[in-house]
Amino acid sequence: MYEEPYRWVEAVGNRRQYLDDQLKEGTPVVGVAYERGILLMTMSKGTLKLYEIYDRLALGGMGHPADLEKLRFNLLEMAHIEGFNRSVSDVTGSRLVKYGITPVIKQAFEEVFKAPFIVKILLAELGQKAEKDGFLTINYDGTFEEKDRYAVLAATSAVEEKMMGYLRQQSIVSLKEAVDVAVRTWAVGDRAQRSALEDGQGHDEARTVPDQQVIDAEALYTHLRRCIAEKTIECALLDRHVQGPSKYRALEADELRTMLPTDLSPSLA
Amino acid sequence: MGLQGDFYQLLKEQGYVLGSSGQAGTGQELTTATTILAFKYCDGVLVAGDRRATAGNMVMYDRTDKVLEIDRYSVMAIAGVPATAYEMARILEHSFKYYRRTQLQELSFEGKLRALSKLLKENVAAALAGTGAVVPIFAGYDTGQEAAKIYFYDILGAEFEGVEYAVSGSGSSTIRGILHYLNTWGGQPLSAMPEEQATIQALRLLTSAAEFDSATGGVNREAGLYPIIKFITGSGVRMMPDLQLRALFESRVSRSA
Repeated sequence: MYEEPYRWVEAVGNRRQYLDDQLKEGTPVVGVAYERGILLMTMSKGTLKLYEIYDRLALGGMGHPADLEKLRFNLLEMAHIEGFNRSVSDVTGSRLVKYGITPVIKQAFEEVFKAPFIVKILLAELGQKAEKDGFLTINYDGTFEEKDRYAVLAATSAVEEKMMGYLRQQSIVSLKEAVDVAVRTWAVGDRAQRSALEDGQGHDEARTVPDQQVIDAEALYTHLRRCIAEKTIECALLDRHVQGPSKYRALEADELRTMLPTDLSPSLA
Repeated sequence: MGLQGDFYQLLKEQGYVLGSSGQAGTGQELTTATTILAFKYCDGVLVAGDRRATAGNMVMYDRTDKVLEIDRYSVMAIAGVPATAYEMARILEHSFKYYRRTQLQELSFEGKLRALSKLLKENVAAALAGTGAVVPIFAGYDTGQEAAKIYFYDILGAEFEGVEYAVSGSGSSTIRGILHYLNTWGGQPLSAMPEEQATIQALRLLTSAAEFDSATGGVNREAGLYPIIKFITGSGVRMMPDLQLRALFESRVSRSA
């Protein structure tokens, strides 16, 4: 039934709808650069969403855990084989994404008889110098974008834009600031997603919801406090100052506690 | 096979072969021209190696690092054919990283030992052909058991635990006796020595090895060349800087002072 071009286009369109629907309750992911490297942040319930890929590469994802695992393994295999056969510095995010996983994701997306990957991926890369730090975001259809100071994943592009808009107004130097901005940005995204769900609105209609020009930080913390009852804050760093070649480290609860407003921290344990 | 987190298996699936198989049993003499040693001291384990690389009678290189950091808590000191040894170190380094990143937990210390043992076993043909013999020492800090550990291997891949110390290489026979003597009648056992004391002993041991073994490079003060000495403790691997080695050598090892 998909032999005709029109049917195929229609099938792919259906697929988008299906994937948007699957992702609408996903948890946003935030990545920001700060003075010592890159911070990735999300909220998780049970399964982790942030991972180490290579010496200077970290991954954050949303979507189906099994699909995310599969792509994570693809990335890990490619990165380690390349790092061994060539050198550590030849393992770059952009090569892994452009020639590695996006063709796979695109193919799965377009082969309408097979199951697509229900994922969105954010790959963070710590450059040799701070100005080379960067992010790559990959959508479920295999399209990807490169970003430099910050990047986000959320259920819809409208929510992502909202989060990026919020990030644009912030300034980040220290890790403490990065954590603070990241959790607030996450709240901006999560709130927008939830209100879209409650309104029962379609996918891109969130765009039409009037933007509050100034989003009140207190309101965001209130939202976070509510979320924290059922989820935990997950943070990972690519820290230029970590000794040895592997720069990835998870931000432990103890450390995180010192960086959050006090009323957010107790529920971390 | 990625699900098993086995990087070496993954490499082999890509057609990788470690070393050349060569013709087994051509009867060449197995030379391991070097001296490496490891012993436990009060904070953890000290691993040291001279820096000379030889080809027959010729000194090829005087700045070799034979004490290779594999990850934050383990070190492999190498004696034997450097090409194969470095290759093994690279495989191990990637294997441990790959395991940690895929399985989201560190490979156990036993697992690390087995990984090296497997590589040595696969390398037996090249070792017997005389082109790839490696006789390493693997030392590290077992974070699970919170204990420093030393293991040494034969070229066939059998692993043995060096409870107090281990030595390998052509200069090892000279210092093995000294280590035994020091540890038994030296006033205090090696494992009770503080870091500085342990470093002085390591420098003296390598200097003694160089005295009797032409393939072991001692200290070359004119060129500012000192052995490589690394410590592995609960907080990871650390290398003793040349400046400190120099001061200790001048004050506590050199007889011309």
